[in-house]
Amino acid sequence: MPLQMSSSVEGKTARVVLEGELDGSSSTSVRDAVDKALQDHPDRLVLMVEKLNFMASAGLRILIFAKQKQPGLKVYLVKPQETIVDTLKKTGFYQGVYVVETEEETKG
Amino acid sequence: MEQQTFPGTLDALEPLREYVKEAARSAGLDQRAIYKLCLAVDEIATNVVCHGYEEAGLNGDLKIEASIKDDSLVIQLEDRAKPYDPNLHDVPNTDDLLQPLDEREIGGLGILLAQDGVDDLQYTATNEGNVHRFIIHLPQNDTNR
Repeated sequence: MPLQMSSSVEGKTARVVLEGELDGSSSTSVRDAVDKALQDHPDRLVLMVEKLNFMASAGLRILIFAKQKQPGLKVYLVKPQETIVDTLKKTGFYQGVYVVETEEETKG
Repeated sequence: MEQQTFPGTLDALEPLREYVKEAARSAGLDQRAIYKLCLAVDEIATNVVCHGYEEAGLNGDLKIEASIKDDSLVIQLEDRAKPYDPNLHDVPNTDDLLQPLDEREIGGLGILLAQDGVDDLQYTATNEGNVHRFIIHLPQNDTNR
């Protein structure tokens, strides 16, 4: 399933919705969207990934990109699927992001 | 399953994954194992396309074939790209995985996930290019994993 994405910035929160499959063919557009969202220096990047069915290492590199561009940025993944949580844990990324069940939890 | 051929571009990643999913379902793998196998093939195929073809200035196909051999599901991926053995690539070690994200290296993650996703990742260089074999051992007398 091709990747569908939308992004917005509201106050100090950048929000990116990802649905479908994130692989090497779609990662550039996601990275560009994240880059654009970070131009306003938000405090947090909220990734809505409940309907993201697949994430290759290209997705992990986008997380590195975001954190290296803005080291103090809080990155939230809202309701990732279990397989993506497995990937985050296997690669040590789980400790570097906030995995939450609801968008409400990103507003702390 | 019948061998399929795709162009060696990133557009092939999705149909490659669909092929692997179908083979893995037929072999009786559970959802988690199917995902990990798809991820493994995707990561290697991505490297072949990006590094083996595009960066090397080459063009070619990706041929994929699934089979059951000696109680194992074998996915074989062939290309005509620049030779490269993924098992010789440095992958993040335990200390690397503990580093904060803003200090992480970007390299090696794909191969780490590829190796983790299968029981054995075999590589052979040929005169034409590369052959990768992704092997999942199937439980004997029980195709559910």
